[in-house]
Amino acid sequence: MATSLVRQTKLLSIVSSQLNPAACFRNIHCTAACLKNRAARIREGKGDKSVTYEQAYHPHHIGHRKGWLSQHTSNLQGEDGAAERVVEDVFIRRFMYGTFHGCLADEVVIKRRGNLLVICAVMIQKLLPSKFYFLIGYTEELLSHFYKCPVKIEMQTVEEKVVYKYL
Amino acid sequence: MAAYITHPALSSLCKINCNINAIYSLISFSRRISISSVLSTSAVTTESEAAGQGVRGQRRSKRQAGEPRTERMTVDQDWTAVYPTAASFKPSTVPLPVRMGYPVKRGVPPAKKGNLELIKIPNFLHLTPVAIKKHCEALKQFCTEWPSALDSDEKCMKHFPIQVQSKEFVSAGLSLKNPDARIVTLKVKLSSLNLDDHARKKMIKLGEERYCKDTDTLTITTDSCPLRQQNYDYAMYLLTVLYHESWKTEAWEQEKTRADMEEYEWEDSPSQKNVLDTLLRMRPLGAKDEVEELLGQPAVQEYRDTMLRLKNEGETEENLHKYKEAVKKLFNI
Repeated sequence: MATSLVRQTKLLSIVSSQLNPAACFRNIHCTAACLKNRAARIREGKGDKSVTYEQAYHPHHIGHRKGWLSQHTSNLQGEDGAAERVVEDVFIRRFMYGTFHGCLADEVVIKRRGNLLVICAVMIQKLLPSKFYFLIGYTEELLSHFYKCPVKIEMQTVEEKVVYKYL
Repeated sequence: MAAYITHPALSSLCKINCNINAIYSLISFSRRISISSVLSTSAVTTESEAAGQGVRGQRRSKRQAGEPRTERMTVDQDWTAVYPTAASFKPSTVPLPVRMGYPVKRGVPPAKKGNLELIKIPNFLHLTPVAIKKHCEALKQFCTEWPSALDSDEKCMKHFPIQVQSKEFVSAGLSLKNPDARIVTLKVKLSSLNLDDHARKKMIKLGEERYCKDTDTLTITTDSCPLRQQNYDYAMYLLTVLYHESWKTEAWEQEKTRADMEEYEWEDSPSQKNVLDTLLRMRPLGAKDEVEELLGQPAVQEYRDTMLRLKNEGETEENLHKYKEAVKKLFNI
């Protein structure tokens, strides 16, 4: 199949060159496009890469084997503000990733209760508790001033990342 | 915690010196003393610790976390103190061996420690029956009894005929306000208002599409003002104005034509004229009858009734049948 295709392209290129001798060679693409989904997926490797539950399951498992990381009412019928909530979520995740650099064991879960913004994070016990407390206070203060709504962080710590399986 | 174990003498010193009974302060004390190498025994161990953690590049000793709160919970504890408000799932606070997640092949669902799935879902650990009882007890002082005289719907409707509806919106976002919360709907049955025939017809005409004939309800919806209180006042004002205007009779209302009538009236209608005509022609020559006498006959009255029913209610099998009977009686068939 591949050889016949190659022969066809050679034929086509020969034909096109003969028809238009002054033109440059333009070949057609005859291989299939790589239509694989690559979103939020860690590809299977040798078996030494540890992944968490969140990383192990792909986006099409959301709703079946995974829950939602961020929940709010703006996606319901007749409600508005969905785009603003998404932008807030993205900013909060980047902020948490940067402020607690290297300490996050898993993705940040964002909950909204009325206008209260609750950020739930699981951390590795990398810093001193006093440092954690300072960073929590700093984050809460900064984000509440930024978004003009009360912000609460509910943090849990684990000794090391919780491994679900090895890929 | 390694420092604590290897320096029992130091730890007793620390206990005497420090006021706060926290593990962190204990360790910091022992660490400081060990690093400053006051005692000869500490110097040796400090070096070994430093060497062991030289990879990290930090001279901090790896402290162990304390035991979770679940170990110290009694069976009859006050759960409302553990989860007083809505909070995410904390594995060290909930003494249940919960597992959540899809299991690996030939495995079990992951345990609760560090389980993100348990954190993602909303929980109702703060709403146990005991907690709800406490809420009710706290709210009781702000409540009053329902009046005993209003024990049925009819009595409520009789004493409070005007129904006002407005919506409250709860949503999650930066602002708790919703512009649709200002809309006020006022519903009232015209039968509960003091209206005579003319006033009722005028009110229905003024109400146009706000009046529902099947339920006899006038519905006024106001949303032109920015506040709910303002919209409510405006709705009450509209009702008052409608009521008073419908009782007034303007001069130009005398010019009401047959086309403006809401219901079909048999008097002075073409149908009446036709019947009179037919009856007069049916009379034998020479006999003179009064119009009122002719119209007063029971057959004519029956015909009038069926015509009214046909025109006002519409054409149904029953109405048409009655019309047929009335016509037959009129012509003595």
